[in-house]
Amino acid sequence: MTVLHANMSVAESASGRVRRHLLVDRIYHWLMAACVLTLLATAFLPIIGYKFEWLGLHWTTGVALSALVLIHIVRAVIWQDFWAMMIDGADIRNGWRRVARALGGKGAEPALPGKYNGLQKLYHAGIAVLVLSIVITGLLMLLKIDTPLWRRNPYVLADYQWGWIYVVHGFAAMALITMVMVHIYFALRPDEWRLTRSMFRGWITRREYEEHHDKTRWAADAR
Amino acid sequence: MQLFRYSTSIYGGSDVLIGASWDLLKWFAVAGAVIIVLHAVLKALTSRRVDRA
Repeated sequence: MTVLHANMSVAESASGRVRRHLLVDRIYHWLMAACVLTLLATAFLPIIGYKFEWLGLHWTTGVALSALVLIHIVRAVIWQDFWAMMIDGADIRNGWRRVARALGGKGAEPALPGKYNGLQKLYHAGIAVLVLSIVITGLLMLLKIDTPLWRRNPYVLADYQWGWIYVVHGFAAMALITMVMVHIYFALRPDEWRLTRSMFRGWITRREYEEHHDKTRWAADAR
Repeated sequence: MQLFRYSTSIYGGSDVLIGASWDLLKWFAVAGAVIIVLHAVLKALTSRRVDRA
């Protein structure tokens, strides 16, 4: 596998491209996006007045999202560079320098990030908390509906416990709207277009890699 | 503005918590719009400053 990666990197280096996302990760991203958008639409369109039979599509999509998240967690822990997405001291230092300079300060320039910058990692942490909250409460809420696989049994929890489960599910789902808006905004910004392209085609150019990333923190050539 | 939704107990007891208030939905959308506008303005201002320098 490592040899395969190395060979791929040599070929990509020659063509001036650096691989950022494998096909499997891009497929995961777009399937997750489809699930989240479907879940938001089936949850909130009826609330704002577009009435339709939403529950069947909502819970089946929720189960699909749960499976995708489980696969992603296993993949991130075993096959991907788990720590590449964790906020570290360098990210905090860079973030502080960026804020100081944005406010007119003349301190040190922020250093280049690794594969992901501090804000991307922060965004990922936020999305992880929200989606895990939604998945866990959503799976519990399946106990309140009849499906082809099981009969409803809402009596496993008390009314007030169900109330709090619905509160967490609802707040996390509404916060997801904010997060999706911000995500789409950044994806459409021209200065972030290389990242959006990499989520479609898998690569950034070598020049983009050298301009925007610290080779010691994201050794793309070594993978 | 309500934070939570309650249903009235059919047995006449205290109201039962049933979820988050959907009145908050528009405020989460507004929060997204505010973040986007603030970032766009900040980016425009800082890039102008860099251009001048």
